[in-house]
Amino acid sequence: MTFDTAIRWTEFLLAFAILQQSLEHLTAHRSERNLVAMRIPVAVALLGGFASGYAVWILMGLSVLLLRRFDGPYNGGADKMALLILTCLSLAHLAPTRFWAEMALSYLAIQVVLSYFVSGWVKLRNPDWRNGTALRDVFGFSAYPVTGNLRALSNAHGLTFAASWAVIVLEVAFPLTLSSPAVLLAALTTTAFFHLANAIVFGLNRFFWIWLAAYPSLIWFQMRVVPPVL
Amino acid sequence: MRRTIELLLPALIPSWRFFKSVEASPRIEYRILQDSSHTEWKTSFERPVSLKAWQFALRLLWNSDWNDHLFMVSCAERLTEHPTQHSIDELNTRISRRIDGANLSGSLQFRLLFLSRYEHRLVKEIEYESQPVPLSDIAT
Repeated sequence: MTFDTAIRWTEFLLAFAILQQSLEHLTAHRSERNLVAMRIPVAVALLGGFASGYAVWILMGLSVLLLRRFDGPYNGGADKMALLILTCLSLAHLAPTRFWAEMALSYLAIQVVLSYFVSGWVKLRNPDWRNGTALRDVFGFSAYPVTGNLRALSNAHGLTFAASWAVIVLEVAFPLTLSSPAVLLAALTTTAFFHLANAIVFGLNRFFWIWLAAYPSLIWFQMRVVPPVL
Repeated sequence: MRRTIELLLPALIPSWRFFKSVEASPRIEYRILQDSSHTEWKTSFERPVSLKAWQFALRLLWNSDWNDHLFMVSCAERLTEHPTQHSIDELNTRISRRIDGANLSGSLQFRLLFLSRYEHRLVKEIEYESQPVPLSDIAT
């Protein structure tokens, strides 16, 4: 994947994610709806590749205003990732040379790797995650399960133990997947399904779309940095 | 400007410590006070018992009520960690929007109940109780 293709795919997927967030937020009261609605035409322009540099900067400005409006992210990590992608794209458009533009996209790619690795590492260090108790607690009493019936999974000890270790291994081993394009593609497919499962079970739909938007940077980064195996 | 930078920095240099540990989880309850009487405490958000496959699928694209609920959970956590008027106002506003229109008189009070596991049982603790605010004064 070339640098320009990676930028275009990141913009397209980011625009889709922002459009999805903004449209579903239109049901909110007008005090917050007006600010959210302003993002819609800009996201549509970015989706179509029209004046991308300006669109990214305007979306960045509106995201900062939303950050102030809610005195922090409205949707936790999903909003943080959106801001990170917008910042890196803004810098890539502003960069005086190709080198600095590549640095901006590389920063995004490295943060995607860290988002998995750090998240896995802190779980690996926690005995409650290693023995499955933490995931049972998530289902048992956290605010996240979207239905009452899903709480029953807190009693499925074998399943939560296996799922905990599957998540830990996937996240901690993620940096190793940069070793080859094929392995990275397989890993990104797996993590996409992981985010999809989180969206279905815990209602984290915004995480699913916004993390997908960061993947092109990683695919480009892998090809750019890791030498091809002969 | 300083506040903006404080809010922006965690997004630009994220910690990525998702679910490092499963902390006590807030439940937001409210009641309406009228003269000397008050209603029972009620939960501000009732999750469905089950959903159909198409409802799960639809929520990938349209999940506004759930995301509003998650924001209320964030405000509840912020309120116990670093109390601000912003979090109190957001909770008052969002709870009042969820109240049945027939009850729109009197004052609104909410409390934050935190659930956690102690050994093998669930423990509930009330960590915050708001000052009653006349519903007519809440900007919805």
